[in-house]
Amino acid sequence: MSAAAAARSRPGEPAFDSDRALLALLLAGVAVPLLVFVVWPLAEILKLSFDTPKGLGLGNYAVYFATPKFARVLVNSLEVAVCATLITTVLAYGFAYAMQRCLPRGRRVLGAIALLPLYAPSLLQALGILFLLGRNGAIARTFGVDIDIYGFTGIVVADVFYAFPHAYLILSAALAIGDARLYESAEMLGAGRARIFRTVTLPATRYGLMSAVFVVFTIVITDFGNPMVIGGDYSVLATEIYNQVSGQGNMAMGAVIGVVLLVPAAIAVFVERWVARHHHAVLGDRSDPLRVVPSPARDRVALAYSALICGAIALIVLVVVVASFVTLWPYNLSMSLRHYHFEVQNGLAPLWTSIGVSLAAAVLGVVVVIVGAAVVRRLGPVLTQALYFLSVLPAAVPGMVLGLGYILAFNRPDNPLGFLYGSLAILVICNVYHYHAQGFLIATTAMSQVSRVFDEASTCLGGGLARTLGTVTLPLVAPALVSIGVFFFVRSMVTLSAVIFIVTPATQLAAVSVLLLDDSGNQNQAAAYSVCIMAVVAVALIALEATLALVRHRGGMRAPQLAAA
Amino acid sequence: MFLTLAGIRKRFGAVTALDGVSLAVDEGEFVCFLGPSGCGKTTLLRIIAGLETPDEATITLDGRDLMRVPARLRNFGIVFQSYSLFPNLTVARNIAYGLACRGWDADATRTRVEAMLDLVNLRDYAERRPHQLSGGQQQRVALARALAPQPRVLLLDEPLSALDAKVREDLRTEIKSLQSKLRVTTVMVTHDQHEAMELADRIVVMNRGAIEQVGPPRELYDRPANRFVADFLGRMNAWPDRDGRPVLGVRPEHVELVAAADAADGANGVIRGTIERVVFLGSVTRVVVRAGERPCIVELKGSRLDLAAGQPVALRAPGEALLRLEKPAA
Ligand SMILES: Nc1ncnc2c1ncn2[C@@H]1O[C@H](COP(=O)(O)OP(=O)(O)O)[C@@H](O)[C@H]1O
Ligand SMILES: [Mg+2]
Repeated sequence: MSAAAAARSRPGEPAFDSDRALLALLLAGVAVPLLVFVVWPLAEILKLSFDTPKGLGLGNYAVYFATPKFARVLVNSLEVAVCATLITTVLAYGFAYAMQRCLPRGRRVLGAIALLPLYAPSLLQALGILFLLGRNGAIARTFGVDIDIYGFTGIVVADVFYAFPHAYLILSAALAIGDARLYESAEMLGAGRARIFRTVTLPATRYGLMSAVFVVFTIVITDFGNPMVIGGDYSVLATEIYNQVSGQGNMAMGAVIGVVLLVPAAIAVFVERWVARHHHAVLGDRSDPLRVVPSPARDRVALAYSALICGAIALIVLVVVVASFVTLWPYNLSMSLRHYHFEVQNGLAPLWTSIGVSLAAAVLGVVVVIVGAAVVRRLGPVLTQALYFLSVLPAAVPGMVLGLGYILAFNRPDNPLGFLYGSLAILVICNVYHYHAQGFLIATTAMSQVSRVFDEASTCLGGGLARTLGTVTLPLVAPALVSIGVFFFVRSMVTLSAVIFIVTPATQLAAVSVLLLDDSGNQNQAAAYSVCIMAVVAVALIALEATLALVRHRGGMRAPQLAAA
Repeated sequence: MFLTLAGIRKRFGAVTALDGVSLAVDEGEFVCFLGPSGCGKTTLLRIIAGLETPDEATITLDGRDLMRVPARLRNFGIVFQSYSLFPNLTVARNIAYGLACRGWDADATRTRVEAMLDLVNLRDYAERRPHQLSGGQQQRVALARALAPQPRVLLLDEPLSALDAKVREDLRTEIKSLQSKLRVTTVMVTHDQHEAMELADRIVVMNRGAIEQVGPPRELYDRPANRFVADFLGRMNAWPDRDGRPVLGVRPEHVELVAAADAADGANGVIRGTIERVVFLGSVTRVVVRAGERPCIVELKGSRLDLAAGQPVALRAPGEALLRLEKPAA
């Protein structure tokens, strides 16, 4: 190198810097597993779906769309998704409005009840609805009427409950903020309630509304558990993939249907991400926070409405719990523990397997997403964009598609990682990457609360990446770490869709046991197994609350300091 | 020269933050970057610290190329405008942070931390958390933290601007005495001319990403190179020459007031006008006189009760007080 070139050299090109080496190492440590455990399985599915006897082509898709049965399945999925999305969004908007813009009695309890479906195995809604409205349900038996809930109606009703808390959380966040000045000026101009709602409230929450619509659509169209239990002959994409792969052993058709499911789900996810970014821009400006003043009439209506919704949500969970503890629902309601003697492969062992896998997923998940968030913070804009995309990509991949991808990628002798197949480790990995996007977003949000000045101060004092993270950044985001861990734990306990394809008799999971029990006509035992899962989840949530309370107590007034600009 | 900067350029998209800045700083010197908000002071300081990557630059310290040294290894102390103490660590652990990075042992660290706490008069605050300190105390700890590892250069980015006026003045004095005691080479960013004039051995006046003038405060005040520098340090009355440019300037305190009746008509260097406003500022009285198109500011010692708006006056500027002002470089 000439002297002039040396003098002109730019920083960022030092001879060797251990810190940059560490960053590169961490980047590889985050990106390579994302490629291996998300992109590769996806690529395998795509490849198989285009693989025809005459080479790569659209042949399989031509067969798919030419087969009336398959075309019907796509229409079914879209019908269910659109219907359930509309109903859920409207109901959840009303509920979020009652929680954020009214003052009904027992607001906090109502808000907590609305979240119950998040903490139950995904098929629990369908199970509960069948206990009430099914052929052998309480209503049919009590009143001697014959209700046909199986199929379209049942799936929509179950999925409305299943997706409700997600919509409520998004809309609640959108309605929680508002500019008091806008409302005051509208009132002074003499606008009535309906008019204010139409001209102020609705426009101000439009991004939240759009987010909710796309999130609910993705959840419903990718749901597997509820349609399995309550769908009857009404097939949707997620259940048809299972049918093709597990029932008929037709991987290729499974892959085609997987791609057909992947497209709308991915579009919805990326539109939602795009909307969410705009949403943040709206939040940025300065405004007077909204103060909700009591209004007896309005608050009574709000209470009636939210109590109705929470009543329905709680009823479904309750009926499952009760059914698990009686001799034979709904004929013999005397107390009994007989359903807790599980007549399923390995009995209660899958519950312990689930707990172990979920604990491991919690630890691995926290490490993976927090390192990802820390690396993203230090990268240049181009690499940041790339890693960000990779990190949120799993949100766009339906669980059934990911699970099938794992079979295609790892269940073959020529894969050096083939030894993972059939192990508990692959279940842990699958759960971590299935929910990677959500965990990563919580982690980056928490990290963005920590001012960059702390990083820079540490750097100038001679602190490397590892020390800055260990001594400053991570302690400051510790509460978020606990939340992320519990998030991975809970999701891993209740998820069914991705793992259904990769469990083996030796690595059976609890949620799969519920499905098997239901499938063999053992609804009461399925209920009992669900109750066990919910009990474990409840313990985890209580532990989270206790930890956070402890941190708040010890941390004192630390939180506001986090955001030193 | 100890620290040299040459040809520093930096753009943020369409914005040119620095447009070819060159400067040399002596060992032990206290240099202030002074200029209006957005002129590139912080960017320049961050480039020196290694926190920002310039598009083009040559920076050396003691003859050694700094561009190949990452911020972490430059051994520069820095104090930011916003509070930057690690909120989860005590005052003592904050100060010890740089020492821990350098692998100091426990005894040496304790001794050094205590010495630094004494230096900034916060001996009793060692075990406090940052949120238990006032803004001024936090910045003093930040100073102690930056100085603890004996940095080659101390960089200060408007460390006082978030503080109340009174605290700001006290801390200004404290920084000055600290710097003279330790003789650490210091570069400070400020947009406050008084701060720069009190603290700096040399002031670097910046405007729109370029340096307008460098020199000791006195020299910049007495012989500003151009209008921009003259206006930024104190006030300046300026008139166009016969050709329109360059301009002639005179400081308000150098203008003399002559009673209108005493001034012979057309006498050399005398301008006639009318008093527009009289402002009593304590030690001086500021008189705004309308003479021709532009108002002329005159500052007189003490209180002048004899002057009032509307009075006709004549102004005179002694020839030796007249300054020739070039157009600003940028
Ligand atoms: N990170 C950044 N991204 C984009 N523009 C920036 C950034 N930092 C500074 N600038 C721009 O560069 C110019 C100089 O900024 P700065 O160095 O902060 O000025 P000063 O410290 O003198 O107020 C300003 O126009 C500012 O908007
Ligand atoms: Mg600045």
